[in-house]
Amino acid sequence: MVLIEISNLTKLYKSGRSTIRAVDGLDLIVHKGDFLAIVGPSGSGKSTLLQLLGCLDKPTSGDIKIDDKDITRLNDRKLADLRQKKIGFIFQSFNLIPTLTARQNVEAAIAKRGRNDKTGTLEVLEKVGLAERANQLPSLLSGGEQQRVAIARALINKPEIILADEPTGNLDSQTGKMIFDLLHQLSKSENTTVIVVTHDLSIAGQTDKTYHLKDGKLS
Amino acid sequence: MFYLAYLKAELLRRWGKTAIITFGLAIASAIIITIISTSQGLSASQEQVLNPLENVGTDIMVTRSVETEKMGDLDETTRTELMSENRISTDLSKLGKAGESFSLDTFLAGTMLTFASEETKKLTSDLAKEYATGLILNVTHQEGKIPEITAEFQTGPETFQVPDVAPLTDAERAAVDAARQKAMADLQAKGIDPNSDEGRKAVRDAETAAMPERFKNRQFTAPSRTFRQTLDAPETDIKTESYTIAGVDTTKKAIGLILPSQITEGSYFSGNNQVIINLSYAQKKGLKVGSSITLNTTLDSEKVTKKLTIVGIVDPKLYTNTADIYVPLSDLQTIADKAGRINIILIKAPDASSVEETSSKVAGLFAGVNVTDSNDTASQVTGSLVSAASLMNRFIGLVSIIVILASFIIISLITVFSVNKRTQEIGTLKAIGWKNPSIIRQIFLENLVIGIFGAILGVGLGLAAIVLLNQYDITFTANVASSNTGQDFMPFMRRFAESGNDTPTAANLKLDIPFDYLILLLGAAVAILGSVVAGALAAFKASRMKPQEALRQL
Repeated sequence: MVLIEISNLTKLYKSGRSTIRAVDGLDLIVHKGDFLAIVGPSGSGKSTLLQLLGCLDKPTSGDIKIDDKDITRLNDRKLADLRQKKIGFIFQSFNLIPTLTARQNVEAAIAKRGRNDKTGTLEVLEKVGLAERANQLPSLLSGGEQQRVAIARALINKPEIILADEPTGNLDSQTGKMIFDLLHQLSKSENTTVIVVTHDLSIAGQTDKTYHLKDGKLS
Repeated sequence: MFYLAYLKAELLRRWGKTAIITFGLAIASAIIITIISTSQGLSASQEQVLNPLENVGTDIMVTRSVETEKMGDLDETTRTELMSENRISTDLSKLGKAGESFSLDTFLAGTMLTFASEETKKLTSDLAKEYATGLILNVTHQEGKIPEITAEFQTGPETFQVPDVAPLTDAERAAVDAARQKAMADLQAKGIDPNSDEGRKAVRDAETAAMPERFKNRQFTAPSRTFRQTLDAPETDIKTESYTIAGVDTTKKAIGLILPSQITEGSYFSGNNQVIINLSYAQKKGLKVGSSITLNTTLDSEKVTKKLTIVGIVDPKLYTNTADIYVPLSDLQTIADKAGRINIILIKAPDASSVEETSSKVAGLFAGVNVTDSNDTASQVTGSLVSAASLMNRFIGLVSIIVILASFIIISLITVFSVNKRTQEIGTLKAIGWKNPSIIRQIFLENLVIGIFGAILGVGLGLAAIVLLNQYDITFTANVASSNTGQDFMPFMRRFAESGNDTPTAANLKLDIPFDYLILLLGAAVAILGSVVAGALAAFKASRMKPQEALRQL
């Protein structure tokens, strides 16, 4: 089942007098439950593609359809709703709120708040193996633990897509592998689409599919 | 309520920032509370000076005081009275023999002329709820040795030589005779008896007219002479001092020149031969409760000495009509030889709202008096005090505005700076689906709570500052033009009274800063408003941040 359908996606940036074609007529189809990697060196348009995929920015031209619905014409408010319900983000530097505990960081992402938020967050933390550390502040957690909190936060709304931006970039290789395996496992157990954007070629081989990004185009 | 947990976490875990902003707002709030309260305290004190009548339970004051500018309009009787009440003539020869010591006190009404206390019978209950009378006089105290009075002059008798006049010639005599004959004939023609008074006068006039010129003007001039004798000025060491004395209506306790409640030390009058001293006079003269004052005067050519015991020190609040010493009215009337005379009536109007109306009615009752109410007394206070007050009010307004602006700017800068540091955090929240209303609510509430803490702390600091300022006995002096007995009036008539206290009445006022709920609320509002402004700016700044910021690597 096609989850994301991207056609002729273009994003231009003006830099002084010249125009940069960060993403240039890109096409991509992602199926539900895919575990895929988009690999490219820096400057290849990776960040731009990630922003467009994550509904953080709007393309100059082209379409992005999620669940057969074009999202490029949506306003900021609708995009925010979409991100909250359908997309889970994982960042290279974890991006946890420093003043909130692990559990509160997860809770911060809950789309529809209710009575069972606490149990819900604990269950998700259990899934990433951090239930005992639920009340710790990020500063007291290791990098791997922080990224696991971030994964739990990404999972809390049961999104269809998880977008991971260099998820292992700030971790040592052993921890990195652990996080990668966790993502892989969650992709299978939850039937969630996981898109990992990275420059790390070693990751590329371990996903179901790998796309290479060069000059704003996939190959 | 997740946002409350987030709020709490944000404020507690970034406690340094919270504390700085809270404290900043609190300081601004406390400064505003303190300066406005202090200004109110000053205003209240000024009000006491500006409305001295109210301090002594009075609405209306009746006097016969004469203003210098209006002297020309006085009738002859009043002018004579004014002269005699301002002139001291001391006949040293009657005080004793030359070389003897003497001490003499002269009591004069000055420009506050007296009237009969009987006049108060006109004050019916519809005009005065209550009234008190008083008599304020200048005392000129002279003491020293009676000087040797020398120099005697005697002139005359003197003899003057009248110069000779040439006798009448025959022709001249004939002319005079002819004139007489003619006059007699005229009289007969008119049928008037030449021997009657009218007839004789007519004949004499005719004769005089016919006399030669040299007989008509018989003036002569005595030669001028000069007497010259050198006189030594009488050797004397007479010292003159003057002060004011007031006779107090002791039957009234809630209205009067001084009230029992104004006694700062000792007690109010409780018997005869007692005196109460003005606080400032007591300080100037080093007088204490228990010491005594002696008055010497001459009544019906008899020397009278009265020794008075100081029973109390008073801080009089009727700044326009204070005296240096106070005695019961009847005692003063006796010793000053002014039985049945008063020169001031203090009236409490039956109704506070009808003071002006009552005041004009009272003015109609008495001829030639000055009726003063609180509106008039305010204008008697020296201009410098009034202008200082308005200057201070303006200054306080300016300081308040500067404090508010400066604190708002600083707090806003800190707040916006701190929200800028949270760009990635806010970007992340937006990336995971937070919408602007939630972001704005979060940032705004954080600041509002800080503002509330700042307000509470600010009110606390403000109260502490007021308590501290009240603890220090801050007193200040206000100069009030005294409408008393004309201290600097007609100095030429008061040759002996040069050392008199012709300075204006000095009112010593203790700064008493009030606790006013409205001002505390205002101070709290400053802190809260500051946080609202800063919070709104920060929230606006946060609302403009983009979700892409989440992806930026720091």
